[in-house]
Amino acid sequence: MKTLARRHGGTVARAILGAALIVVAAPAMLAAQSATGLAVTARGWAIRNVTIVPVTGPRIEHGTVVIRNGKIEAVGAAAAPQAGDSVLDGTGLFVYPGMIDAGTRLGLSEISSVPGGEDQQELGEFNPQDAALIAVNPHSEPIPVTRSNGVTTAITAPRGGLVSGQAALLDLLGWTPQEMAVRAPAAMVMTYPRTGGGGRFARRAQRSQGDQMNRQVLALKAFLGDAKAYADIKGRLAAGAAGSQKTSLGMDAMVPVMRGEEPVIFDVETAEQIRGVLTLADSFGLKVILRGAHEAWRLADTLAARHVPVIVGPTTQGVGPDEPYDEIYANPGVLAKAGVTVAFQTDDVHGSRDLPYNAALAEAYGLPADDALKAVTINPAQIFGVADRLGSIEPGKEATLIVTDGDPLDARYGPKYIFIRGELVPFNDRHTRLYEEFRVRPKP
Amino acid sequence: MTYRHETSGGQRSGQLRDGGLRVVTRRQITARVVVVGLISAFAAGSIVAQAPAPFTMPVPPAAHLVAITNATILTVSHGTIPHGTIVIREGKIAAVGPDVAVPAGAQVIDAAGKYVMPGIIDEHSHSAAEAVNEITNSVTAEVRMTDVVKEDMPTIYWQLAGGVTTLNLLHGSANAIGGQNAVLKLRWGLPVDSLLFEGAPPGIKFALGENPKESNFQAFAGSRRYPQTRMGVEQVIREIFTRAVAYRTEWQQYEAARRALRRGQAEPIPPRRDLQLDALVEIMDGRRLVHSHCYRADEILMLLRVARDFGFRVASLEHVLEGYKVADEIAAAGTGASVFADFWGYKLEAYDAIPYNAALLTQRGVAVAINSDDDERARRLYQDAAKTMHFGGVSETDALKMITLNPARMLGIENRVGSIDVGKDADLAIFNGHPFAPASRVEMTLVDGRVFFDRNTAPTLENLMQQLQEQRQRRRPAATGRGDQ
Repeated sequence: MKTLARRHGGTVARAILGAALIVVAAPAMLAAQSATGLAVTARGWAIRNVTIVPVTGPRIEHGTVVIRNGKIEAVGAAAAPQAGDSVLDGTGLFVYPGMIDAGTRLGLSEISSVPGGEDQQELGEFNPQDAALIAVNPHSEPIPVTRSNGVTTAITAPRGGLVSGQAALLDLLGWTPQEMAVRAPAAMVMTYPRTGGGGRFARRAQRSQGDQMNRQVLALKAFLGDAKAYADIKGRLAAGAAGSQKTSLGMDAMVPVMRGEEPVIFDVETAEQIRGVLTLADSFGLKVILRGAHEAWRLADTLAARHVPVIVGPTTQGVGPDEPYDEIYANPGVLAKAGVTVAFQTDDVHGSRDLPYNAALAEAYGLPADDALKAVTINPAQIFGVADRLGSIEPGKEATLIVTDGDPLDARYGPKYIFIRGELVPFNDRHTRLYEEFRVRPKP
Repeated sequence: MTYRHETSGGQRSGQLRDGGLRVVTRRQITARVVVVGLISAFAAGSIVAQAPAPFTMPVPPAAHLVAITNATILTVSHGTIPHGTIVIREGKIAAVGPDVAVPAGAQVIDAAGKYVMPGIIDEHSHSAAEAVNEITNSVTAEVRMTDVVKEDMPTIYWQLAGGVTTLNLLHGSANAIGGQNAVLKLRWGLPVDSLLFEGAPPGIKFALGENPKESNFQAFAGSRRYPQTRMGVEQVIREIFTRAVAYRTEWQQYEAARRALRRGQAEPIPPRRDLQLDALVEIMDGRRLVHSHCYRADEILMLLRVARDFGFRVASLEHVLEGYKVADEIAAAGTGASVFADFWGYKLEAYDAIPYNAALLTQRGVAVAINSDDDERARRLYQDAAKTMHFGGVSETDALKMITLNPARMLGIENRVGSIDVGKDADLAIFNGHPFAPASRVEMTLVDGRVFFDRNTAPTLENLMQQLQEQRQRRRPAATGRGDQ
């Protein structure tokens, strides 16, 4: 019980929660927590008298959400619990889907300055064979810290080089990386080369940067050409053609990408890079997702027409010398209004819990509130092909949801209960533990 | 320089914060040119020529009489006025309240539906400076940020766009005792001396932990300088203050000898002037405020002990990520805590940083400020302050104080700024909604009653898109539909 109550600072919230916890009549079940703090539950839940924000449909006041076997069983005024279900009174609270961060390196980095815990980046330019899921440390402290702020699901991916490797979509709960995986690989991560990247002397070196960019673009095209040939030959061999093929682990990893089955996340910033990506997509039949893309507004209509989704952010970036002061904040709104599917990323590890506040900055500069919410829930689920499982409060979907005391994009409010795949997850992370420990420190 | 542990987003923005190093600056190069001669002049000139054209905005005229009407006023010092007026005369708040009349001839800013709060004070900044870290010595108390203020940096404007009106420009954290600070008002576009906050008490930067002991960088490639441990950091500080005590005694003896001088006697010889020790004597005499970068609880207690031994108060602990572990001791020392809202994990000493720090410190009676230490984070300090309400249940007023009145107190400028009260400077941020609400943004920022940021005239993305649209229409009048922008 204490673990649940610890997040409630305000007296109002405490009073609400006090009432709610009396109804949660199963202390023995709450006690059934493992040493790692993961709740173990098999029974059903009913969250009653709660405002439901399904994201994909209109908001429901005084509704009930019934959870069973890890799934959302029923939603709405008529939803009824079964005998033996734990009942949670949600008076004054809200149910939202768990939030999805479309770009992190969670599990791949513990403390940025300590090399022993860093597994974010390999050597070399082409590493399609490297999969984030291999190196995710499920017991990394930033994972529960992120989860406790309502970010229940995240893309984690390696970085660096032109082809960084394979991203994984993870639920931020599980004993092993494989248990956490919602979809892995979820995408191949690539960077489209650019000129004029930051740095004090960037301008002086513009010509040599241009040469380097051209060389890198040629290298990327050559790599994709090889991958296409490899995939073609593999297909012909499978269809019975005579011949053989030497196995390449990297090229094998590219086969689903070249067949258009696995998307490519392209890290880009400028309009020039985006045009380059679209050309590559046409040449090689790639299914592309843009990420970063603070100049995507320049191509908003094109991207909408081509159904190219954009993962924007982080919005917590500085301003370039020639950019409008609010470009990084206003870009998502322009895209959404043009009909582009927009999601947010934090591109972070320790700061991934700030995902909703990234979206809020965009909301302040023109992204409609509904779109901002979609961009951290249903949109990333759609982009990564799991909208049938995650991203909204609908019967049949996984019960990965948060119960909050307000709009989760509003920094003043936050989750009071978190469910992942139907499990009530305690607020047991490094930060809540230290808070509890020192909150009660006696006066010296 | 790969010294990036104080930020994560900053790796992309390429910005500068504690420990960050600016290798050589444009103005430094230009200065060298004068001394060194023509060959250098050529090289430096070519670099200057390729630098981007400086971004400028028109300087607002001085404001003699201004009235902000129909506003929801968050005074911070005495509650919220739901529908009020602020009258500004010659840059000062002349009246504030629900029933204040608009004087004849006043320039009126209609703030119907908008919120006005005191201009945000960023208690820890490295903005608007050409240099941040004199890293070569473990004590650099003689260097001054006032000598390197760069008044035309666009970041000043971008921070105004985030409601910031005052910042504490601090030296970096590479040394146990760093350089002297500069408190700035963001009067962007005015001559450099006009940015200095007139009358702000002088201060100085100290730093403890990983940065002064070179854990993540080397001041000299391939070699090391003392200190390399937290033991050494303490000794560096204690040693220099011990020397400062002796230095002060020398001067006192000299002054006494001069006062006792009789006619015909030889003038006493003054002690040799030491600019480092001068600054330390000012600290011990209570004439210079100490702002000390620190992380771990043990080193926080260490500094408070050293300060007590040498008879001074630490004005503010900076970052102070483990402050919540020793909140009572900090409160007892009368020291403020200037913290990040929730930044953590970027180095070992930031592993125990928790977002509840501000709340726990507040509960134990410590005045807390939320700072940026970063040009980008400075643009959204209001959102960072809001987080303290969620993490630990800080009240709205206390959260607002963390970016206004509390940092003003730490900087000794609370009689001038930090709340909306009669007699204070008219440094104000006007939002389109409550500053803590997700859809809110800054519409207008005033310093001394002058509008230094106005979203209506600002270079926004919307404006740029309009310009591009008009350009396209001029070029291709017959074109229909929208293409690439």
